[in-house]
Formats: sequence, C-alpha cells, structure tokens
Amino acid sequence: MNENVKINVNGTEIQSAPNKLLIEACEDSGIHIPRFCWHKRLDPVGMCRMCLVEIETPRGKMLVPSCTTNITDDMVVDTESDVVKKAQEGVLEFLLINHPLDCPVCDKAGECPLQDQTMSYGPGESRFVEEKRHFEKPIPISEIILLDRERCILCARCTRFSDEISGDPLIEFIQRGNKTEVNTFPNEPFKSYFSGNTVQICPVGALTSTSYRFKARPWDLKSVRSTCSGCPVGCSIELNSSQNKMLRILGVDNDNVNQGWMCDKGRYNFEYLNSDLRLTSPLKKINGEFQKTTIKDIYSDLDEILKNNNNVKFLLGTNITNEEYVSFNEFAKKLTDEEPSFYINDDLLYEGFFEDDIQLAKINDLNEADTVVVWSEDLKENLPVLYLRVRQAVKNGAKLIVFGHSNSTLLDIADYFYTDDVISKNFEIGDSLPMLEGVEKFINDKNVTAIIGKSTPFQADESIKKLVSYLQKYSNLKILNAFSTGNVYGAFHTLSSIKNLSDFSEEVNSDNTDVLFVVGADPIGKSIYSNQIKKNIKDIDNVVCLDLFIHETSELGNYIIPTSSTLGEKEGTFTNIEFRTSRIDKLVPSPGQALSDWEFISGLSNFMKLDNNIDSLEELNIKAYEGLAQQTKPIFDNLDKPSNLDGILNNFEVNISTSENSGTNCDYFVGKKLYGDNVTIRYSHSISLLGAKQFIEANNSTISKLNLNSTKCLLSQDEVEVPVDFIENEKLSDGIIFIPINRRNLNKFDFSKKISITPNHSKAALNVN
Amino acid sequence: MKETLLLTKHMRSNPEDSHLIEVYEKSNGYKTAKKVLLQESPEKVLEEIKDSNIRGRGGAGFPTGIKWGFLAEDEERYLVINADESEPGTFKDRILLERDPHQLIEGIIITCFAANIKNAFIYIRGEYAKPARRVQNAVEQAYQKGYLGKKIFGSDIDLDVVVHLGAGAYICGEETALLNSLEGRRGEPRLKPPYFPAVKGLYMKPTLVNNVETISSVPWIVENTGKEYNKLGVEGSTGTRIFSLSGHINTPGNYEIEMGSSFGEFVETLGNGVRNGKDVKAYIPGGASAPWFRGDQLDIKMTIDDVANNNSMLGSGAVVIMDEETNLVSAAKSIVSFFAHESCGQCTPCREGTTWLEMILERVASGRGRTSDIDLLLDVCDNISPGLSWPPKMTTICPLGPSAVSPITSLMNDFRDEVESLIPTKILL
Repeated sequence: MNENVKINVNGTEIQSAPNKLLIEACEDSGIHIPRFCWHKRLDPVGMCRMCLVEIETPRGKMLVPSCTTNITDDMVVDTESDVVKKAQEGVLEFLLINHPLDCPVCDKAGECPLQDQTMSYGPGESRFVEEKRHFEKPIPISEIILLDRERCILCARCTRFSDEISGDPLIEFIQRGNKTEVNTFPNEPFKSYFSGNTVQICPVGALTSTSYRFKARPWDLKSVRSTCSGCPVGCSIELNSSQNKMLRILGVDNDNVNQGWMCDKGRYNFEYLNSDLRLTSPLKKINGEFQKTTIKDIYSDLDEILKNNNNVKFLLGTNITNEEYVSFNEFAKKLTDEEPSFYINDDLLYEGFFEDDIQLAKINDLNEADTVVVWSEDLKENLPVLYLRVRQAVKNGAKLIVFGHSNSTLLDIADYFYTDDVISKNFEIGDSLPMLEGVEKFINDKNVTAIIGKSTPFQADESIKKLVSYLQKYSNLKILNAFSTGNVYGAFHTLSSIKNLSDFSEEVNSDNTDVLFVVGADPIGKSIYSNQIKKNIKDIDNVVCLDLFIHETSELGNYIIPTSSTLGEKEGTFTNIEFRTSRIDKLVPSPGQALSDWEFISGLSNFMKLDNNIDSLEELNIKAYEGLAQQTKPIFDNLDKPSNLDGILNNFEVNISTSENSGTNCDYFVGKKLYGDNVTIRYSHSISLLGAKQFIEANNSTISKLNLNSTKCLLSQDEVEVPVDFIENEKLSDGIIFIPINRRNLNKFDFSKKISITPNHSKAALNVN
Repeated sequence: MKETLLLTKHMRSNPEDSHLIEVYEKSNGYKTAKKVLLQESPEKVLEEIKDSNIRGRGGAGFPTGIKWGFLAEDEERYLVINADESEPGTFKDRILLERDPHQLIEGIIITCFAANIKNAFIYIRGEYAKPARRVQNAVEQAYQKGYLGKKIFGSDIDLDVVVHLGAGAYICGEETALLNSLEGRRGEPRLKPPYFPAVKGLYMKPTLVNNVETISSVPWIVENTGKEYNKLGVEGSTGTRIFSLSGHINTPGNYEIEMGSSFGEFVETLGNGVRNGKDVKAYIPGGASAPWFRGDQLDIKMTIDDVANNNSMLGSGAVVIMDEETNLVSAAKSIVSFFAHESCGQCTPCREGTTWLEMILERVASGRGRTSDIDLLLDVCDNISPGLSWPPKMTTICPLGPSAVSPITSLMNDFRDEVESLIPTKILL
C-alpha cells in the first residue's frame, strides 16, 4: 500500500507517494501546473479548469483537471501538449474577459496569481470587445474585510475555507452562471474569527482587508518570518513592512502548527505599533505626575533602591521572549539569595499536567487520535488555531468528546457534549463519568488526545485531575495542556519558579514587597483580581513598569520604561503549546527610546555591576537552553537552518508552583472573548471596535427567568455598575450566565459574591425617546 | 406509420381522468406491482429489464439493466426519478407525470423491489406545477391504499416516496446537480470521479437515477416480459419511445412510436408535413443540446445508434423542425442564450464562454458582425469543447458548456454561407 507510484509526466518518469493528486505529485517533482481554485489545504473542486492536463486513457487522450485526478501506477500525463496549452490559454482568456484592468490600484498586483499566470500561460492580447461585467466596487462584508466582486474569479477558495476549515460558512455563491457572485447573506456580515485567511488565499484582489488596503505595493514590502506570540499555539507568520511601518501579517504553512492559517486577532492586531500613544521615552513619577526622564536616570534611581531593599517581586506578562524571561531570572538571582518570586499575568494558570508519567501530546497527535477530548476554556476564543486543528481532526474521523459549558463553539461537531448533567455549574465533574456512553464507547482502551486546561479561573484543580486520572487509567492518553496566554510555555522552562495571578493578588502587598517589576502586564485592566491587585499595588513604594502604553496598571508605576513589541520589534525565541521553540524576528525599528526588556535588564545589571553575563541576546539565547542536546537546542544557529524553520521540539522541565485552587462558588461562568478591551486591540483601529461591546450571554429560558423586557440590562455590585447587552446563546445550558471578563469593566466585580442583574431603565428610557 | 401505445395507452383511453387511482386500477393498474412483490424475486425483475434491452430515456441512452447492475451494495440505497424535464423541445415526461402518475409510481415500486431500495424521490422541475400536483396527489392516494409506506401490498416490503420540486434550473436535470439540489445545495454538477451516483450519490449513498419515461416503461416490461419488449423497435433501440415533435410542423405533439423509422416518415405521417408546405432547412433530432441535421438528411433512422453515427444524438427525443425560412443564426443564438442563462457558473469556460458566444452571435445576427467573428466563434467553441468533435470533448465538469457549442458547429459546418451573408463586407460609416 505504501509503495511509491510511478507515473510518466511529459516523457519523464516520476515517483510519488500513493493517494496523491496529480497536481501535487507533479508539484513535488518540480513540474508546475497552473491553478486558481486548488489549494493544498482545501478539498479540490475542479472549478477553475486552469489545471487541465492530458492523460492517456483506453479511449485515447483525455483532458482532465489535475487537481481532482488521483495518480495511478503507470499513468501517462502530458502537461505541455498543444491541447493542454490551448485549453489553459482559453481558460485564462475566459477569466480575463470580465476581470477589471485595475491592476494599477489593486493591492494584489505584484503578488497576484492571475497576473503571474497570465504572463506565463495566457494569451497575448484580448479579443473581447464587449462591456465587462459590473458590480458595485468594494462592499464591506465585515468590519475588517472588503469584497470587490468584479475582480472575483469565482475559485471558491474563500467559501470553501469558511465551510470546511473555519466552520462558519457566512460567504457563499449567489446567483448562477455569468451572474454568479460571492456574497454574504442579508444582514449577516462575514463575522468570522478567521476571515483574514480568505484574504490571504484569494488568488486575485477580490477580498482585501481594511488594515492593508492601499497601504503598500508588494514589491516595496520587506518581510521576515516570525512567530505569533498572541497565544501559545505560536502560529508561523510572515511580517510585512514598508517604510519601516508594519503593514501586514501573513500565515505561513507550518504543517505541525497552523498549516498556513491564523486567527484574525493574530493577523490584524498590529496597528498599535504605530499608535501615537506608544510610550517613546522613560517616565518617572514626580509628585504624582509622570515626567520624561532618561534611562540612565532611572538606572541610577533603581540602583539606589535595589541596594537598599531586598524584597523584589516580578509580575511578568506573556508577550515576552524566552531570552527576556532568562534575563529576568538571571537578574533576580543576583538581587537576593532567596528563590526569586515570579508571578505570571494569567488568572487561569495552574500546575497543569507535566509529571513524568504523563505523555505530552503534539498538536499533530490530534490527527492520529481515535478520540479527542476537550475540557478547557473556549478554544475558539482563546486558542483559535487549535480550534481549527480540532475541527480538522474531527473531519479526518476522530470522535470528539467535550466537557463543560465553555466550549459551546464545538457543540456542532462534538459527538458527545457533556454539560449540566455531568458537569456542575462550578465545573465539577460528577460520579457518572465511567457510565457515560461516550466514555464507554470512545475513551476506554482508545488512543485519546486530550486538550486539558482550566475552563474558568474558579474551577478547582481537583476536578480537572479527576477527569485526567480517569483518562490515564482507561485510555492510551496524550495530553495537550491548554494554557492560553502568549509565551507562557516559554516562561515554564526559563523561570526558576512560577506562580499565578491569584497567588499574586493574595501574596504581594506593601508589607512584603519593596520593589515590584510589572512587565507588559495589565492585571488591573484585564484580570478578575483587578480590585485586589489595585489595592495592593497602590501601597507598594517602588513599582517599575516596562510597557508599550500607559494603562490602568502602568499608571500606578513610579517608573515606566517604554519597551519594544514582541511583534516585529525584537528578536528572540518563543515556545508553543507543544514545546516547539521557534524564532521571533525583528522587522521594524522601535519608536523613540523604546528598548527590549532584556536590553533594559542587561543595562541595569551592568549599571549595578551585578556581573551576571547577560550582555547580549546570544548569551541569553544559549542560557535559555542549557542542558539540552546540542542537536535540538533551539539556539539561533540551529533555528536558522532551513530544516528548522518550523521550530524545534524539546522536552523541557517545567517549573510551575501555583497554590492549589479548591474552587470558588460562582454563579457565573467567566471567560475571555477573542477580541477584548486590552490596550493593543484598543489602539489597532481596524479591530478596535470588535472588542468594545459589553455584553453577557445566556440561553432563552435563563433570560426569561430574569424578567428582562429589553436586551439591555445593568450589572451591579456595591459601587460597580456596568450597563451591558444581553445576548441569546442557545448553546449555553439553563441557568448559566457567561460574562466576558476581557470587555471593559466587566472584570471589576468580585465574582465570589452576588452580582445583580436588573433591567437598565435609563437605557430603556432613552430608547423610547 | 402508426403509433404503438404502451406508455400512453391508458391516458389515451381515459382522456379525462387517467390520473386517478380508481381509473388506473380499472385498467389493471398496480396488478403487476402486486404480483411481483408477492410472487417474484428481485433477480427475475432485473432479468426482464436486461432482456428488454431498454436504454435510458433521459438522453444518454445507457442500457437500464446494466445501470441497475452497477448500483453499489449498501444498507441504504436510493432511487431518484429525474423529472426535471427542461431540455428545450422536450415535453414527453410532462404527459407521463400529469396524465399517468400511477404508472410511474408502479414503476418505482417494481424498481425499488428489484434494487432493494426503501426510499425513492421524484424530482420534478419547478415550472411543472400541475404535473407536480398530480404526482403528489397520486403518491398520497397510493399511500392511502397501502401501495406505498409500510408493508406494501401486504408484503414485508417498505417503500417511501418523496416528491420534490426544483427551483427553476435546467442544470438540475444533470443527475449529480439534481442530487445536490435534492440535498439542499446549489444545483451544481459533481465531479465524476469520484461522485458517480451508483457509488456515491444522494447523501453519499449508492443512488439510481432514472428518467420518468424509463421507469414508466417498467410495469409493461415486467408484465409482458422483456423478450416481448425487445421485439418492438430495432436492435439497439428496442421498445417504443415518446417523441416530442415541435417547430414548423402541422401537427406538433407527443407521439409514441417504435424506434426505427426515418425522421422524414415521422414528419410526413404523424406530423402531417411542414407548415405551409415548406421544405425542411434543418432539424434538431434530440433536443437543444444535439447537433442539427440538414433538411436533406431526413432519411436518417430514428434510432439511438443511427443518429449517433451521424454525429448527433437522439437525446431526449425532442424533434424540432426548422423550415426553409428560418434564420438559423437567430435560432442558434436563442439556443446559446438558453445555455448561457442556465450555466451553473462552476467552470470558467462554460460560465464565461457561453455568455461570450451569446454576445458574438447577437452581434452577427443583428448585422453588426465582424469578419473575424466566425473564427472567433469557432475558437471560443474550441476552448469549451476542444476539437469540436462529436461526442464532444470537454474542458468543463458537465456537458452543458459543450451543448452550447453544438448549434454553432452545426451552423458553421452546414450553413456557413448563411452566417457569412449576415456579416457586412465592409465597415459602414
């Protein structure tokens, strides 16, 4: 079965793995067949007819589309015969007769498959003298995507992507024949978390994005390959800039990770880099007012402070490279003899499952598994590309079992979806687990790949362990620990000990902390421990913030150091959810005096004469991977080898030591939406509105029990009052109310106490007027 | 030349109420089905169909017995009756649906018995409102009588029949597009391979797709044996066929005849000659997709093979007569317009090419043609159907695009002078 297939192409014999499409087999052997509709990651449809080739059949030579023809042994193929050339030229002429000649103003021109293939395979001149087909020029089909139907060649790549890959088929063909067009349904915009992929795979300039439209010409672009640090999936990406401005991010096809796809947040959350509000010079708070100062001034202040105070703590964000984590670790070690205290800005962080007897999964293991089990926070909102990979696994035949209320976005494709009757409101698993049909049929004795994480910050660690120990006992289990913030996996192996935000809110206060470093973290603006942390930080004498912007947390700092963004402004490495380490690279300069976190720490160390050998990025890079075998060390030299561009897998020792969470009784189910109200999204104007709406979700019967007569209501607790919209979500169970805590002010409640929901009379009154 | 009435016998003898179940049963309706289900074996039925040598009446003329034999094994298999009769010039299925729906249902019962099928669908074109109503009523009557549903005729066989209406697309007559439409998708032909209906058909299950006339013939064949049916007509084109005669003819209409006589005889006797005593300039032997024959080719025999040997097709049995006064360029243009309008839009050559051909023909027909237009027409045709041969080669998934090429190649092969005469020799200022 696995023997290679021999086929003859243009008189030359080529070998290929079996079960391949002719177009792929030829491509692998360096024979390019032109195409528009065929895409490696989408099901073939054979619509554009550009890839027609001739094959020998018992009835003579036949024209067949190479994208829908499977290779068979001894197949004889001609990709260059006169008939083939004529057919290809004909198809191109047909495509061009109604294609507008607006290449001079088209974003795609210069990297356009239609342009390129017309040059290579097309007719020299036009014989079409009639009027071309006309449509209204670009129409917005969502906040971030525009559609120009005149340019569309109806290849169905976008419609197939939305249907097959992302599972939100919001764009479709309408009309037929010569009038066929791609469009959205009435009053239903293309509101997909993955819509940017359709712009990337559009073979013409029909789909464009608001953020890149008319910004640059492809031949002016500089580009570099990097890794998205938005979530631990770590998608391989290409950054594009022109005139030192970041303008576009593209997905790179990394078979192990993102397979070319990205989520829209990863793709469009970059405009903040050029925001006028970026910090460009160091600030020092004097008499309650920030004043510009110099780095050197800050160094000398900190030198003084650190020499006189021993209690130093660090709250680190997760948009930090591994090298920078190492710099903080090395720096902290020199300050005191005690174990340094690092807190990670993640309210869902817990110890996870990294023990020796646990088999850790790779993302690709999803494809090999009999059954995929998911019990974590909402994958679609928090690890979007992993959500795509789960969809892919199901499409390839894996069974999907989902636990809990949080992953309702997987309801449509799940074989078993266990909520109310199995999982309590507080995410505790019942005793009925072994008796469940899905468990009996598809977990016991099966190859299971489980995506396991906390569904909500209030979930008891014990309840997760209960499921995992069952799975471990009765199935051949591989675990993918689902943490969802940035480079948190990098922190796991570079920092000597790690605690979470809950620990931070309980442990760190002015009594035990003299100096607090807050690096790229806004727990007051984003986390559920907002109030507590605000209270604690306020009283700490020396708060040093390293950040891109002034926000709710950094404004409490005594010093703010402007830093470079992990997105295209610095170099380093990133470790993803399967412990694959890949390169983060630099493309654009940092604004003003902004510098990398490690540069600041290295400078400070030198100023203080700490003698900790963190003078260069290379030193830090090597330090980060001490103890690994030379071959698989993700040091720059290794990562830059062509074979390692997709990253290097390693087994790391993980140092998480969070306190056990025994669970909190909470009437609400809190979680994060993909787009939130964090500073970077707020200052990326293309997507800023997407994370602005304040709302809560519940199903219809829950809503009716609350006696609300409009879609507006008021959440209130003590002095906190937040007006929100009510959104019906029938996928939620009865009695469950979802509060997205990354929307503005929705994290300001004490979730262990009652929050009252009342009709918002003021808003209702306004509506009447 | 006389008609031979097998399928239309019942409707002819009961012109007012042949569609009612009581009337149908009075003419011995459903007796065959009942007898077959209670006494015969599926193998026996298949044997009769094979013996009859009946070939599909939808257009392609594939031997029905062999088609049934190809149906892949599966627990779930379907029968789909293609009643999406939309080929311009064809109106034979209409009378079968409208005036003898029970004959079709009886055919369905026997077919499903033979092929071990429990679910059948009748896909009727949306414009056939009255036929659809009649079929729907007939299905309901059959359910009431216990001829459909659970344990039909008291046997242990179940059969459900669903009537489904199209939404006005010619392409849904193409069997795989029909299946897409039936599943609620866009009516677009599927790729073959891999989606051959007999293997991966409706809902990806093995599916038999047969024409109304084919299945309506089944009760007669099974009742009178395949050997008797095989005696009718000629070898290769056995049995009777309902031809839809239209165009410049004195008595247009549906005629059920044995295959084998010539088109000329058909036109003269049953059609009572060309209107106003004119000569035939050209005629279409098998529906709008078929290449035309000239008026001097009326001696061609009305059999599937004879027509095919003359580079056209008997297709759906629609004979369209064009007399000597016909503007053939306009005729070709209206056929091409039809196909351009009905293209599903999947394949580039068909979507763009048919409309372009329409534009060029429009220009030529209205006297604004260019001398280069004849070559251009032929070259555009060649890009849709390489080589312009018959049967057509295709750059498309289904034959709709190449169908639009047929009238143009006929025009250019046989009536090129007429096209050239419409093109001004010099530019008029």
